[in-house]
Amino acid sequence: MPLLRVRDLVKTYQVGDVAVRALRGVTLEVGSGEFVAVVGPSGSGKSTFMHILGCLDRPTSGEYWLEDRDVSRLNDDELSAIRNRQIGFVFQGFNLLSRTSAVENVELPLLYGAGKVSAAERRRRALAALEAVGLADRAEHHPNQLSGGQQQRVAIARALLNNPSMLFADEPTGNLDSRTSVEVMDIFQRLQVQRGITIVLITHEQQVAEYGSRIIAFKDGQIVSDQTNERQRVAVGELALLPTG
Amino acid sequence: MSVWSSFRIALRALARNKLQTALTTIGMTIGVATVLTMIALGTGAEAAIQQQVRAAGMNLIVVTAGNYKTKTEDDGGGVVDHQAELVPSPQSPVPEVVLAGFHPEDDPMEKHDHPTARQRLGDTEAGLGAAATLTPADAEAIRDISGVQFVSEGIHENVHAAAGDKRWFTRMHGGDVELPSIRRSWTFTSGRFFTAREQSRRAAVVVLGAFAAEKLFGDANPVGRQVMLFKQPFEVVGVVGSGSWMVAPSAGDDQFDAVYVPFTTIHQLLNLSKLTDITITAASTGEVTRVSKDVTALLRARHGIGMKDPDDFTVATQARQSLARGGLRPDVARAVVGNVGGLEKVTLEQLGRTLDRATKTMTALLGSIAAVSLIVGGIGIMNIMLLSVTERTREIGIRRAVGARGRDVLRQFLVEAVALSVIGGLAGIVLGAVASGIIGQMLRWSTSLSSSSVALSFAVAAGVGVFFGYYPARQASRLDPIESLRYE
Repeated sequence: MPLLRVRDLVKTYQVGDVAVRALRGVTLEVGSGEFVAVVGPSGSGKSTFMHILGCLDRPTSGEYWLEDRDVSRLNDDELSAIRNRQIGFVFQGFNLLSRTSAVENVELPLLYGAGKVSAAERRRRALAALEAVGLADRAEHHPNQLSGGQQQRVAIARALLNNPSMLFADEPTGNLDSRTSVEVMDIFQRLQVQRGITIVLITHEQQVAEYGSRIIAFKDGQIVSDQTNERQRVAVGELALLPTG
Repeated sequence: MSVWSSFRIALRALARNKLQTALTTIGMTIGVATVLTMIALGTGAEAAIQQQVRAAGMNLIVVTAGNYKTKTEDDGGGVVDHQAELVPSPQSPVPEVVLAGFHPEDDPMEKHDHPTARQRLGDTEAGLGAAATLTPADAEAIRDISGVQFVSEGIHENVHAAAGDKRWFTRMHGGDVELPSIRRSWTFTSGRFFTAREQSRRAAVVVLGAFAAEKLFGDANPVGRQVMLFKQPFEVVGVVGSGSWMVAPSAGDDQFDAVYVPFTTIHQLLNLSKLTDITITAASTGEVTRVSKDVTALLRARHGIGMKDPDDFTVATQARQSLARGGLRPDVARAVVGNVGGLEKVTLEQLGRTLDRATKTMTALLGSIAAVSLIVGGIGIMNIMLLSVTERTREIGIRRAVGARGRDVLRQFLVEAVALSVIGGLAGIVLGAVASGIIGQMLRWSTSLSSSSVALSFAVAAGVGVFFGYYPARQASRLDPIESLRYE
């Protein structure tokens, strides 16, 4: 039973008088626990694809089934609830709230959860999540006091706070140097292996895509190739070889 | 998300731009302060006027001994020429004087073209209606009439009061212990009124009017000191002053330029047994007419006056008299009675309605001032919130991505707008309280800052926040999550 299934997914934008067809019929299944890297040049529709999978956007036509629910028919509130509980996002630009401490950024998903969570409990869980990404000592730092890699780890901690089943990452290493990029990939691979989280990684770099267990190539709004990655890079091994600092 | 955490987020967002927040709230602050000050001054004035009207004795009935009509206005057409009584006799060519049955000056229905004795000398000295017909027993009987609240016997004399080497010519009023209850605008600046015990024992005690006290003792406290009245030593037990800002004690005002002693003491001192007048208050202003009729009937019965004979006393209930005599400032009296002619015929209800109309006009004026300032303040908030939504588009996108619903975003911005207006409102309440206090001090104008007006101002501030914050908040909630995330 696949975790998510999409069929004939079409997305058309109206830009002025011109209709831009971002997705032109995408059909795909992703199983639970996969690490899918979506690769393609800019404008190939991969970001749009991720937005629809991440319930941030709705397709113009086609079906999107997430764990037996037809997500394309849900209303805004229901999509928000899915984003809150089942999906975590990591963005290229980190997207942390400025002038807000790391721990408060991490707490954010709990503010919009269904059940009432006390402030103390929120903080306790946020601190635990920060500790898991190795930033327990930076909890009170504001984003502008953290390095890029640290900011991205805060963002990952936030994405994981509600124990989602899926993690969507849109060019997560785009703003990072090579070593911190590998560190982030290491975190993703651990999440996949240790916690069985399904990861969808959007990137335009083939080398980054090779950390995934499956590589899907996009071009002009369609899938041009979809294959299991036989030569998956292992981040933890590469880290050992890279010079520290 | 709970309202409380929304509120905390809102406060933190506002704290980031302190100057901007302060400038935005100034509009609300001024608006709410204006509202509060106006309400305070308005209700203060209203309370003062109502207190004045009550203090002036709208429920007052004065029974005066004797019966004479107050001088009527000369309408200019009623001059009777007594020469015209010279009629020619048919028997004789010489005109013969036909004497009227009485001296023309004695005809009470006539108008005269020369001053009458009464006009020359005044009522009392002319002996007209000056008969001392009221007794303390009459007053006691009146106390038993239903609807009567307070009764005070009255006897009045001019007196040379002396304290040490200071002398002051003033009025001496003999009264009953209930007199302070009738004169509601009185306050005792020191000491007390005389007691029932002192009254029954005919004690030589005196209460000084504030003006007389100042003349006799200057700034010193006269309580416990001695005043000589009719060459007899009296002990001062209290000083009575005006409790109303509108009435300042002044020379010859007959109220505070006066001394008060028990009427029983005057009776003994001057060897008298009658009263000049009896002052009555009705428990309810609506019953004044009924009570005065009962008083008339009672006194006629007690004085054994036949059906067709006139009263030997006068019952006065006119509002105008009490308004004019009760120490109401002339301009206020005019404002109260307005251009209502023939006030004698005006019932208390009508007067109440006039007051009510004046109050409504005032309220409408204050309301429009308040509305304008609050709208201006509200627009300021709306403007800053729209700006804030644009500035924080990316934040909205982030919150949406981690699961905030449209209504969560709406609430966040709405709470922020309300927090902004409430902060302004609270500052306005403080400013308004201070301002109305200062204005009250400067104008010696009683301002009343009720908790309900504070609550109202607060509610209005919050309401303005909701009203003007809703549109920007809805704009924020309708932003597309993806576009907000991409917004730079």
